[in-house]
Amino acid sequence: MGRLLLIAARNLRQNRRRTALLSAAVVAVTMLLVLLGSLGNGIQATLLEAGTAMITGHVNVGGFFKITSGMGSPVVVDAARTLADVKELAPEASRIVQRRRGFGKVVSESDTIQCALTGIDATNDEALRGILRIREGSLDNLDADGHSILLFEKQAERLNVSVGDDVTLSSQVVRGQTNAIQVRVGAIARDMGLLSIMSSYVSLDVIRDLYQLDPDTTGVILVYLDDPEQAGDVKARLREGLLARNHRLMEDEPDAFYHKFQQVAGEDWTGMKLDVTTWEDELANIQWTMKTFDTISSLLIGVLLVIVVIGVMNTMWITVRDRTREIGTLRAIGMGRFRVLVMFLLETVILSVLSALAGVLLGAGIAELLNSLRIPVSQGFQIFLMSDTLRLVVSPRSLLLAVVVVPLLTTFGALIPASRAARLRPVTAMQHAG
Amino acid sequence: MGDVVVLENVSKEYPLGKLVVPALKDVSLSIGAGEFVSIAGPSGSGKTTLLNLVGCVDTPTSGVVRVDGLDIGRLSERELTRLRLEKLGFIFQSFNLIAVLDTFQNVEFPLLLQGKLSHRERRDVVVELLERVGLGKHARHRPNELSGGQRQRVAIARALVTRPRIVLADEPTANLDTGTGASIVDLMKSINETQGTTFIFSTHDARVMKHADRVVRLEDGRVVSNGDDPSAHAAGTGAELAHREEPAPYLAGE
Ligand SMILES: Nc1ncnc2c1ncn2[C@@H]1O[C@H](COP(=O)(O)OP(=O)(O)OP(=O)(O)O)[C@@H](O)[C@H]1O
Ligand SMILES: [Mg+2]
Repeated sequence: MGRLLLIAARNLRQNRRRTALLSAAVVAVTMLLVLLGSLGNGIQATLLEAGTAMITGHVNVGGFFKITSGMGSPVVVDAARTLADVKELAPEASRIVQRRRGFGKVVSESDTIQCALTGIDATNDEALRGILRIREGSLDNLDADGHSILLFEKQAERLNVSVGDDVTLSSQVVRGQTNAIQVRVGAIARDMGLLSIMSSYVSLDVIRDLYQLDPDTTGVILVYLDDPEQAGDVKARLREGLLARNHRLMEDEPDAFYHKFQQVAGEDWTGMKLDVTTWEDELANIQWTMKTFDTISSLLIGVLLVIVVIGVMNTMWITVRDRTREIGTLRAIGMGRFRVLVMFLLETVILSVLSALAGVLLGAGIAELLNSLRIPVSQGFQIFLMSDTLRLVVSPRSLLLAVVVVPLLTTFGALIPASRAARLRPVTAMQHAG
Repeated sequence: MGDVVVLENVSKEYPLGKLVVPALKDVSLSIGAGEFVSIAGPSGSGKTTLLNLVGCVDTPTSGVVRVDGLDIGRLSERELTRLRLEKLGFIFQSFNLIAVLDTFQNVEFPLLLQGKLSHRERRDVVVELLERVGLGKHARHRPNELSGGQRQRVAIARALVTRPRIVLADEPTANLDTGTGASIVDLMKSINETQGTTFIFSTHDARVMKHADRVVRLEDGRVVSNGDDPSAHAAGTGAELAHREEPAPYLAGE
């Protein structure tokens, strides 16, 4: 085996051009695999970080209140009791915050936009504080005067407002009439791609006043956990516990709350029903960005891998043809078929393992470099990446995967020519010209 | 008994498109242990075919080939490989060394395939053998750093390193100049005499043939003369020498 390794290594060195070309291809594809993987991880990480701050907690207890069976509001009545129950049922929660849910128009002197209006407890909503990057004003303004709004850059631009200006919020309220309320722009935050297109944040009181809600109501209770992976367990426990404490629950549906309006409106019940969801349920709709990215990058990588595997296979055919006489000689002096196979496969294994390692190191290095350069991305991509700079997250798991998968595939490609070599009849191989 | 190679009514045909080319026709032959036998005959007469059969790299179309008592037609691919590794040694016309290995490693290779000897034992065997073939100083040279004669010595050492019963050589001197060829045959002969290894080699060269105990002459796939009597050494050699004295007609007859 040691000698076969030596033969393989020396033959690789002998055919420098061939080896260099093939290694370059394997390095490049592995590198690309790592880079695209890191970019995907980056998007996923941003999505989870930003999503679990802006849109959802790790587990959410929200729901709908229906006065008539035809119309539901995203309101939790009996908020104090519900909150107490949630606290008791999820003692491991690292943080519990409340938000109110609304939807309406933001009107300035120059323009009008439509977006989700989320009432937040700005002082205590640490997840949100951590993720929003305030360009102007301060989140504290939202709590300080109780009637402020946070807009994102593009919204503010469109409305042509800046911090301190007044805007009017108007929304359809429960009985079909429209209410309006004046608020002050308290903060302007940098855009967060997809996540900031249709949302803005206001003081908790704004939503209460806009919809004329009872003080003992809330929109949704956000439960944050130290380990987001536990969300499923906590959700199950909350559902069971809340039922046991005489709360009514909606059917368990892994979907975002704003997708449930229609369904709720179509159902024949009135009163309050709670809905317990995880961050995965709430973000299910946004995961398409990930899926799209994954599909595109897998296709690209797949095509490149196929090309490389064909390249390896071709090279192996040439190698086998060039060395047919040698195969005949070795078989004649008593080398078995399996060893012939191994001898040729080893060339591909050595080449692709080393090249894949190099590709992985290079890819990881470049990813780190790109990260540290904080490269700005164009607006179109910002929506997709949900960040204004390129973010790559190199995961050891994907590196390991690349180092294993690439050599496996190339070796698989080399298998056909190599096994042909092994199956050659010694006499045929010996008579081969050249 | 004492025959290490026995051919009984052996025929070999090669398919060539829709045609069948007969390369050996009903050949019967036996070669005793320790013989130094030359296979002679014009080009296309079947010398290589015969050596391939004895060398277990090919099987006969009909008839029986026994090598060291085993009917090779009944052996599996695996058993044939084993037989080649343990009982046979090969010397090729164009040396066929492994280009990327040096002299020492080329000679050591069959021992590694056998996997019987330790690192030390292998080294001792190879070093001694290289001295024997006059390559003691060239152990670390690659084949392309050696002359043709030196390469063939490496090949001889490789063929002998496993102490095979039979060494087969297909025109071992054809790619060498006369003087070098003669020294290679001398080397083979001396090993044959000191170690009792059976040598079967083919050649066109009458000067090489004259060293043989016996010359088996093929023509058109048949044995036309077989210096049957091992004691008729001198006679056989004499016959070949007679040919050599008239090189032109001899060559024309090929
Ligand atoms: N693989 C093959 N396919 C078809 N015919 C073959 C094959 N090998 C040999 N032959 C034919 O078999 C016959 C004997 O060939 P062989 O190579 O044994 O002759 P040879 O005596 O070794 O000749 P030379 O002195 O030229 O080496 C020839 O007619 C040759 O054309
Ligand atoms: Mg021949």
